[in-house]
Amino acid sequence: MTGRNFLLNLEHISLSFKGVKAVTDISFGVRESEICALIGPNGAGKSSLLNIINGVYQPDKGSITFDGKTRQAMKPHHAAEQGIARTFQNIALFKGMSVLDNVLTGRNLKVKSNWIEQLFNLGRAPGDAVFQRKKAEEIIEFLSIQAWRNSIVGNLPYGLQKRVELARALAAEPTLLLLDEPMAGMNNDEKYEMSRFILDTQREFGTTIVLIEHDISVVMSLAQHVVVLDYGKKIGDGTPDEVRINPEVIDAYLGLKH
Amino acid sequence: MNTLPSWLSFQATERHIDVAIRHKRLGIWQEKQWGELYREVLRLVHLLGEKGFTQGDTLFLLTNPRPEALLVSIAAHWLGGVSAPLDPHCDDVKILGLLRELQPVFVFAEGQMQIDLLLKINTKQRLVVYADARGLSRYDHEILRNYSDLKSNTLDGLNAPSSAKPSHDAFVFYRLDENDQVEVQKLTHSEMLSHGRQLINQETLTNKEEALAARNFAASGHMRYLLAPWLLAGFKLNFPENSDTRDIDRRELGPTLVAGTSQTYQRLENLVKSRLPLVGTARRTFVNWSLTTDINSSPVRKAIAYWLVIRPLRDVMGFSRTRVPLLVGEALPEDSLKFFASIGIQVRDWSDKVTEQNILAASPNQNSRHAALTETARVTE
Repeated sequence: MTGRNFLLNLEHISLSFKGVKAVTDISFGVRESEICALIGPNGAGKSSLLNIINGVYQPDKGSITFDGKTRQAMKPHHAAEQGIARTFQNIALFKGMSVLDNVLTGRNLKVKSNWIEQLFNLGRAPGDAVFQRKKAEEIIEFLSIQAWRNSIVGNLPYGLQKRVELARALAAEPTLLLLDEPMAGMNNDEKYEMSRFILDTQREFGTTIVLIEHDISVVMSLAQHVVVLDYGKKIGDGTPDEVRINPEVIDAYLGLKH
Repeated sequence: MNTLPSWLSFQATERHIDVAIRHKRLGIWQEKQWGELYREVLRLVHLLGEKGFTQGDTLFLLTNPRPEALLVSIAAHWLGGVSAPLDPHCDDVKILGLLRELQPVFVFAEGQMQIDLLLKINTKQRLVVYADARGLSRYDHEILRNYSDLKSNTLDGLNAPSSAKPSHDAFVFYRLDENDQVEVQKLTHSEMLSHGRQLINQETLTNKEEALAARNFAASGHMRYLLAPWLLAGFKLNFPENSDTRDIDRRELGPTLVAGTSQTYQRLENLVKSRLPLVGTARRTFVNWSLTTDINSSPVRKAIAYWLVIRPLRDVMGFSRTRVPLLVGEALPEDSLKFFASIGIQVRDWSDKVTEQNILAASPNQNSRHAALTETARVTE
C-alpha cells in the first residue's frame, strides 16, 4: 500500500507493552484529504495506533511514511512541526483559560516573533500577535463558538469543550488531523453538529483526518475509508460498504467471535 | 425623494465618510461608511440587472440579519423590485412549503443550510447570492454567487438611475398561519418612510443613535422602525456576529435604539432574573428594595438603587445607554413592562398596528404568481 496518493502509510507496525501485544503487524495507508476511521472493540489498539502516528509511542517494529518521509520513531513535537495535530479521548484543554486563549495555544508553532520581541512588543511581535489572533478568530468562526470566545473552558458543557479541542487542533493548520473519539459522550444533535464540522474541515481546508469513533452510523456516513482492528490486528480495510459486509468485522462487532 | 434607494443616495452624499453599518466579525466591529455602502449597492444592482432582475421581480431573503441582506434588498429596490424576507427561524418543513409555493427566482441565502433547502425545491432559480461560503466549495451550480466576490467587480459605468417609486412595494412578508396557509403582508416605500419619520419625530432620533439589528428581518416592524429611520436619520446600524452572540454584542455595544419583539424583551428579562440572588436572602431583599424605588423615594435611596442594582442590571442586558426601547410585533405582558419600568426602561409600544389592514393587500406591481396569491387571499401550502 504505497504510492504518491498516500499522505500517511503504516507498514507492519507492531507495539507491545512488557510483552503484551497492543498492535500486531498493522499496515494501511491514508490518502490525502480523506477521512479514515479506525474502529474496533475496546482494547483493539486504536488509541495506541494514534499514539504511534503522532509519536507518543515508538513502535517495536515497522515504519511510518508521512508526507513522503519514512521514519521508525518520532517525538510528538516533531510530529506537530510536520503538520500532525490531534485531540484526545479525555479532553485535554487548559480548563482555567478562555476559549480564545486555548485556541491561541494551537498557534504556538506558527508564531514568528521570538520571546524578546514579545516581551518588549518590538519588531515582529505586534504584527504577529494581530495575525495569530485573526487566525484563531477564523477558526472560532468556522466552528461557531463565537458566543463562548471569552468563557472559561472548564465552565462549558462537554460537547462544547470537545469543539474547543477541535478548534485548538485546527488552529495549528494541520495536514493530518487525528481525532480520538471526537463524539464520545455527545447526544445525537451534538454528534450531528460535530460530524458537520469534521466534514467541513476536510472540504474547506483539505485536511486529511484519521478518527476513532464507536458510533458506527456516524463512521459509515462520515468516513471514506474504514480500518477495523480487533485484538491489535487489522481485520478489515476498505470503504464503508466493503467493511459493512466483511464477515470478520460482523463477527467482531456482533460478538460471535468472542 | 420618497424611496429607500433615494435616501441611500442622499446619505451617501451627505455623510459620505460617516459610519453607516457595523458588523461584528472575527471578534471585531467592522465598519462601513455610507459612501462604501452606496458603491456596494451599485455593484449588486449591476449583478441583479445582469441576471435579468427587473421591475416587479422579487428577491427572497433566507438569512439571519446581516448587512449583505440589507444591501442586496436595497439593490432590488433600486431596480424597482421587492424584497421578501422569510423567517429563518421557521422549521425547514415550513420554509420548504413556502419556497415550493413561491417558486423564488432570485434569492439571497445566508449559507450552505439555506442553499441546500433551495436546491431541494428544484425550481428555475436564476441567481442565488450567498454570504457564508463555508461548506460550499464543492457546489458547482452556476446560479450560485459568493457575495464577497462582488467586491472585486469594477464600478466603471455603474450609474444606473433607480427605478423605484414611492408606491412600489419595498418589502413583502410571507408566512404560514396556524392552518399552514400563506399570509401575505406588504409595505410600500412611502409607507415605510412615513412610519420611519413618525418614529424619528416622536422619539427625536438623530444621526448620533446606535441601533442594533439583532432580530431577523421577517417582521414588518423592524423594517418600519429600524431600517427606515436608519436611512432617514443616518445613524449607525449594528449587526451582531450571529444570533448566539447577540446578547454579548448588545452588552458590548450599548445601543441607544432597540427595536425588540416581545420574545426579545422576555428573554432578556429571564436572563436578568436568572442572575438575581435567591428569594428570601438578604441580597434579594436589597434588590427588591432597589427595584421598588419610585419618583417619591429619597435621593439617597435612588442613588444607592441606581448604582448598586439598576445600573448593573441594565449593563447585563446591554441597555446601559438605551434611550429608545421600542416594542414591535406582539404586545409585552404587563408584568414584563413593569419589570423593565423598575429598571428605568420605559418600553415604547410600536406594535404592528397596521398588520391586519395590510395583510392580503393587492399590489399592481406584483408578478402574476404573487398577484394570484394575494387575489385568492389565502392559498393552501
